[in-house]
Amino acid sequence: MQTLPFESATGCVLESHALVEVPLAEIRGLRDAPVPDGAPALPPRFLRHCDEHTVVGVRAVLEAIAALPDPTRPFDRYGVVGAPRIAGRITGAQTLVQAAAAGGIAVSPHVVPQCSLHALASAVSVALGMHGLNLGAGGGPEALSEGLYTAISLVNASACAGLWLVLTEWDEEPVLDAVGRPTGDPLCRAVALALRPPAAPDASTVAFTIRNADPIAACDQSSGTTGHGLADLARAVAACAGGGGITSWSHICPWGAEIRIVAPAAAARPARSEDRGPARREAA
Amino acid sequence: MSFIPRGSGTASVITGLGVVSPLGNSFADVADNLLAGRSGVREIDAAAGAREGRQFAAPVAAIPEPTGPGFDDFATLTRLEQMCLTPAATAFAAAGLPGGLAPARIGMVLGIGAEQLKAWELDFLHGGRAVLEPRRDETLVHRLARRLGIAGPAVAVAAACASSGYALALGRSWLAADRVDACLVGGCDILSPTAIAAFYNLRALSRRSDDPHKASRPFDRDRDGFVMAEGGGFFVLERRAGAAERGARVHGEIAGVGMSSDAHHMVAPCSDPTQAARAIGLALADAGIDPAAVDYVNAHAAGTPVGDAAEAGAIRLAFGPAAATLPVSSTKSMSGHLVSGAAAFEVVACLAAIQRDAVPPTVNLDAIDPACALDHVPHTARPHRVRVAASNSFGFGGANLCLVIREAA
Repeated sequence: MQTLPFESATGCVLESHALVEVPLAEIRGLRDAPVPDGAPALPPRFLRHCDEHTVVGVRAVLEAIAALPDPTRPFDRYGVVGAPRIAGRITGAQTLVQAAAAGGIAVSPHVVPQCSLHALASAVSVALGMHGLNLGAGGGPEALSEGLYTAISLVNASACAGLWLVLTEWDEEPVLDAVGRPTGDPLCRAVALALRPPAAPDASTVAFTIRNADPIAACDQSSGTTGHGLADLARAVAACAGGGGITSWSHICPWGAEIRIVAPAAAARPARSEDRGPARREAA
Repeated sequence: MSFIPRGSGTASVITGLGVVSPLGNSFADVADNLLAGRSGVREIDAAAGAREGRQFAAPVAAIPEPTGPGFDDFATLTRLEQMCLTPAATAFAAAGLPGGLAPARIGMVLGIGAEQLKAWELDFLHGGRAVLEPRRDETLVHRLARRLGIAGPAVAVAAACASSGYALALGRSWLAADRVDACLVGGCDILSPTAIAAFYNLRALSRRSDDPHKASRPFDRDRDGFVMAEGGGFFVLERRAGAAERGARVHGEIAGVGMSSDAHHMVAPCSDPTQAARAIGLALADAGIDPAAVDYVNAHAAGTPVGDAAEAGAIRLAFGPAAATLPVSSTKSMSGHLVSGAAAFEVVACLAAIQRDAVPPTVNLDAIDPACALDHVPHTARPHRVRVAASNSFGFGGANLCLVIREAA
């Protein structure tokens, strides 16, 4: 077994962030009126055919833009990584049930473009005129790890001025009846992070970094969740950005890599460190 | 704009390749069929969800079981799993990565656009009801990685019809950032009754059911949509320096990547070629080459009226005067549109052009649409020295990708 690097890699910094949580029953209303005060307008009826994850994800981006000092600034040179966790299931179920009963004529032409993994990222790109890359990542239980890892990788390896990372999930997966209708009112959650490459030494903003996996320890990793959810990420980002007393927070991906969020000028501040990764390892 | 320093040894080269497609399940077969102008399109059984009695597509006749131990359960896997596993395992084995390479330093990126929809549909059509249940099943990329002994980063990405190309782009970025020493990248797709019905209802599919072989006709004046296909390809990428050090066989180099978005519409293609041309320009800049250095363009051109004309405009815009004598073809005229697997399959087509010194044709190109004026290669392959090829891939939601593929040094 050769010795391989376990280094801290260059990451990116945070420009804005937002968390949005919406019960399923309220998504219809959000679909019709998604724009918060201070955010840019969307094309008319833009979210009409979108999946629930997309509706809530777009809202989170708009909230994050509204929170900027200048919400009118352009994002045309930004890209988008959308990382939904199991999107499109409600529409998918209803489509399958209806197609089984009525044949292909019952299949909406919107089901593929709106319920596939790319849909969330594409919707943000189209809605807000972003001409950088747009890409879906994850799609399953590990969407948080896959989305974070992909966005931090690409923010420094593309022609974009920055990237929006939009992560979405149901707090509990919807239970559907025999025709695909939800029987409960689960919460759809979205976190939007505006990320950009770091300017040379930049200690004024929240930083995201990736540490490669320890190659030997990672060999022993079994696949599974890290125990970190989207709500934990949102709280950590807010705490790091808002001086909430946390200097850093770690997320361990299933493959052992560590994604670390570090508060501004953390090293110079005597606040406590809260590294909450369940299997966090120190660098060798 | 250069994303990866040239000549620094960080260039990404292909050291393993696997393909499953309507035109064959090996590089040699695919190259032979593409250069012979053979079509993989044929009539298929009208499946549940299809709108017409006569349905046509470009299917994979039979998915071969991967060779080697550990695949005893192959027959029990779903068609989507089989479609991905065979080329992934083939590429991985062909690369012959050294046994001393730590599994955590090998990554995997799977380009797949609608994994859940396909998985739910396969289950539903077999009487299952997984789509109705609140499950959080592990996704395919993690199952494949574990099966192949890959313990590094494993990510699924999607950019609709450009998905597998973005997988190459992401894997290449990991190599450049030293996150991995090798990365298995690619993507596949399967024919799906729901997808066929959705694209049919969108009027994106050709309706030439009277003559399926003639249905896929990119750039032709009488084109009326694309033909669905299935399959795809996988590649092992390594840094050039690492591959050279271990004496690996190199099939070619991913020399440049360009990505952009139209930001135009979720479904409709964009008639303005600006952003597609920008992706091409970014890829050329990333490769550090001038437009005149490109010897062949494998077009995305699927046969849609708006999309093909827009791409022709993008090629003219990006390549400028060089476009007048730059051979362009769409291999989708023969393979059909492999959707998530298309970009990876078309990298194979570019490697075939490079290794065989010939440009594969656009079959069925009987009357070139004046709006698509380019140096086309209609009907039959053109002998031509190809050192550098560019491959375009465009997807729903305005995702644009161009890969520059260079011959092995």
